[in-house]
Amino acid sequence: MAYVTSVGLVRVDRNYYKSPRDLAFEAASKAIEDVKLDTIDYVIVTSSLTYLQASQFDLAAYIARELGVNVRSAFTVEAGENSGLAGVEVALNLIRSHAAERILLVGVDKLTEYISNRTYKMIQAIYDTESDAVYNVGHAGPMALLMRLYMDRYGVDRETLAHWPVMMHTHGKENPYAMLRFKVTPDKVVNAMPIAEPITLLDAYPLGDGAAAVLLSSEDQGGDHLAKLSEVYSSIGFQSIALRDDPLSFEAVGQIAREAGLNPEDIDVAEIHDSFTITGILLLEELGFAPRGKAAEMVAEGAFTKGGSGPLVNASGGLKARGHPKGATGVYMLAEVAMQLAGTFPGIRADSPRKGIAVGVNAHGSSARLAFLEAL
Amino acid sequence: MVLPVWWRKRIPRYRFVGALCKDCGRIHYPPRNACPYCGSRNLELVPLPRRGVLESYSIVYSVPGDNRLNAPLPIGLVRLENGVRVVAELTDVVPEKLEKGIEVEAVIRRIGEDGETGTILYGVKFRPALGRK
Amino acid sequence: MANSENKQVINAGIVGWGAYIPMYRLPTREIARVWGWPEHQYKALNVSHKAVDGPDEDSTTMGYEAAYNALLRSGIDPKMIGAVFFGSESKVYAVKPSATLIAEMIGATPDTMASDLEFACRAGSEGLKASLGLVSSGMVKYALAIGSDTSQAEPGDVLEFTASSGAAAFIVGPRSESAAIVEDTYTYVTDTPDFWRRAEKPYPRHGEGFTGEPAYFYHIMGAVKGLFEKTGLKPDDFDYAIFHQPNGKFPLKVAQRLRFPKEKVLPGLVTPYIGNTYNASALLGLARVLDQAKPGQRILLAPFGSGAGSDAYSIVVTDLVEERQDKAPKVDDYLARSYEIDYALYAKFRRIYVMLPRG
Ligand SMILES: [Zn+2]
Repeated sequence: MAYVTSVGLVRVDRNYYKSPRDLAFEAASKAIEDVKLDTIDYVIVTSSLTYLQASQFDLAAYIARELGVNVRSAFTVEAGENSGLAGVEVALNLIRSHAAERILLVGVDKLTEYISNRTYKMIQAIYDTESDAVYNVGHAGPMALLMRLYMDRYGVDRETLAHWPVMMHTHGKENPYAMLRFKVTPDKVVNAMPIAEPITLLDAYPLGDGAAAVLLSSEDQGGDHLAKLSEVYSSIGFQSIALRDDPLSFEAVGQIAREAGLNPEDIDVAEIHDSFTITGILLLEELGFAPRGKAAEMVAEGAFTKGGSGPLVNASGGLKARGHPKGATGVYMLAEVAMQLAGTFPGIRADSPRKGIAVGVNAHGSSARLAFLEAL
Repeated sequence: MVLPVWWRKRIPRYRFVGALCKDCGRIHYPPRNACPYCGSRNLELVPLPRRGVLESYSIVYSVPGDNRLNAPLPIGLVRLENGVRVVAELTDVVPEKLEKGIEVEAVIRRIGEDGETGTILYGVKFRPALGRK
Repeated sequence: MANSENKQVINAGIVGWGAYIPMYRLPTREIARVWGWPEHQYKALNVSHKAVDGPDEDSTTMGYEAAYNALLRSGIDPKMIGAVFFGSESKVYAVKPSATLIAEMIGATPDTMASDLEFACRAGSEGLKASLGLVSSGMVKYALAIGSDTSQAEPGDVLEFTASSGAAAFIVGPRSESAAIVEDTYTYVTDTPDFWRRAEKPYPRHGEGFTGEPAYFYHIMGAVKGLFEKTGLKPDDFDYAIFHQPNGKFPLKVAQRLRFPKEKVLPGLVTPYIGNTYNASALLGLARVLDQAKPGQRILLAPFGSGAGSDAYSIVVTDLVEERQDKAPKVDDYLARSYEIDYALYAKFRRIYVMLPRG
């Protein structure tokens, strides 16, 4: 295990004034400003789009050098939308194997350097470019296929599904780091501009830029910490929804939920990957937070908001409202869950939570990761 | 230059050929180096049935790249007659007549053009099936 | 008439045939509305709609589907095809064969000949005749001849009323396997500048009325009369007469001059519904006739291409035709599959709008 010692977040936004390096610098500086540090063993940067948007290789070394701190080694971890938690997995294992005492994890991505259709082309590469993404499926297409399948199979109507973004916006409104800080109604979601029917603009994460940093320390490091990072579970899934026996099953998520022995009753707080409404709904079900076909209804009943019957899910506003700067998202999640467990999250807070998880996937679930955190 | 990227995969995309796993018996498309189901590399190329049923579809408005000519862009999840599923673009679709469960068939269409070299990329799309088998 | 063509038995015929017509239809009245033509201008052409290729279609994809249909009807292994001829005046690459693309798509590669032919609307027919020669001589067992076009016409030009998109393809093979045997052919060409497109120019030009008498009528009459002379056949011997069909008017007129009754022309006349598909024009007519022909019937086929020339064929349907008719979609299936569009969408599909390069 390792400790989450400190975090630094930048509000997700269209940060036209700042480069990826500026954003990373800002988040990293915040994470280490109050910590006495001699050396950082590793700076691990998680990013999936920086090469395409900023034409930069070896980003971690360039970022690390600018921090003005003694850094032993730096490298970048890429796992698409799941890059952030992949970095967490690598960092935890380095600490556990005593290869490192202190690791600064910095997630950063920009999605606004190019006009939108160019960005859509870049981010559709989260899907398999040798099968589904050979076509112009866009960033939302395959998930839209799943959403229609879900609605038809379980008889869940469009309006009911709209309660997910409604909840995300309600949560995000209270989070100072969220990109979208306004409330929406189910009616507004349903009637928003379609981006890939039946997915509307308000079902989808906004295109925004962000960076998040987390300082992880080994057990031997004294001082104050926010939370304990106990374990990261990881799995890979099929290359395409077409290969699954049931296209609606996120087998990689189910796999890590089983491996983790996840019991929804034990979890107080969770940050889960909701690139689109349907992703959030399917993850809730795959994690066992809701029976199949029932997640949307439970969301509408308030089960996953503060005071609900389930864990507090995506108090940050999720990818939907906090935002989804791709490679940075998993680091945001880790930071948010750690702050929840420490009681320092600056938005909607769970009541003295003990256990929390951050769950991320890439695309339709080509990979999945679950980070398990505990309060100190 | 993306020219060789497309070229080396042209045969399965032109001829709609899948891979049959000789160990577990399952077929997938497009052919991969190992069976997605059991990991076996004991694979054999097999022609796929050209007809199937549209299990799900979407009309994509957030079209990537320079695709205004094709917007809005219909895509579908197709279940072929042998049970193999494919995600692909749909074509010759009248949006108001698009619905789940219709019979579709594989055709070859332009998938795109390489902006730099101007070369044309062809591959399988699906259209509502003509009346005749 | 001096005859350069030997009288000999052609030991080859049509083993399979296939058609393709895109789904979109532009009414000719819509073109008249946009460009300010009086209705007489298009009504005289006897063409109500023209077929328009969709945004993801081109002469290759259409030619492929026609070839695929021909293969389905033939029932042969595509590996046995020894030559692929692609006749078009709307090739997607100025340099780079479409024939290799289609040969690869159907699985005829690598041991096959493949080339693109150009002779305005007649290249597909020349491919058919060359295929007959190759098969008859025994050099190859089967050959594939394709005519496919997404014809260009300058916006506002009268040509725009008819220039349309479609494809037809034929698998030529041994006489014994043929659904229709070719008894004889006769070709007639001269240098006639009735219609042309200079290199690098996007649209063809034409000599208006000059495309009629000295071009269309002179060459088709020459070819058909030459065939009659060579074979001793006469109009009464034929059950169908199919001519190149640049509009709905010329084929009926040339039939009248050659003394073919209208009834023998109509089954193979598709232009009134879809416009002039150029290299597929008369060949789609042949496909439609084969879709419905009975064993023993005789067909006159006379494609024409500007520049100019015409081939006349005498084709006799065999007992094998009926079992093959239902093995692939028919011309009428494609005619029935239609979706009307307006000029604005047509202009988008055909990339007529001037769009600045991106980058
Ligand atoms: Zn297998």
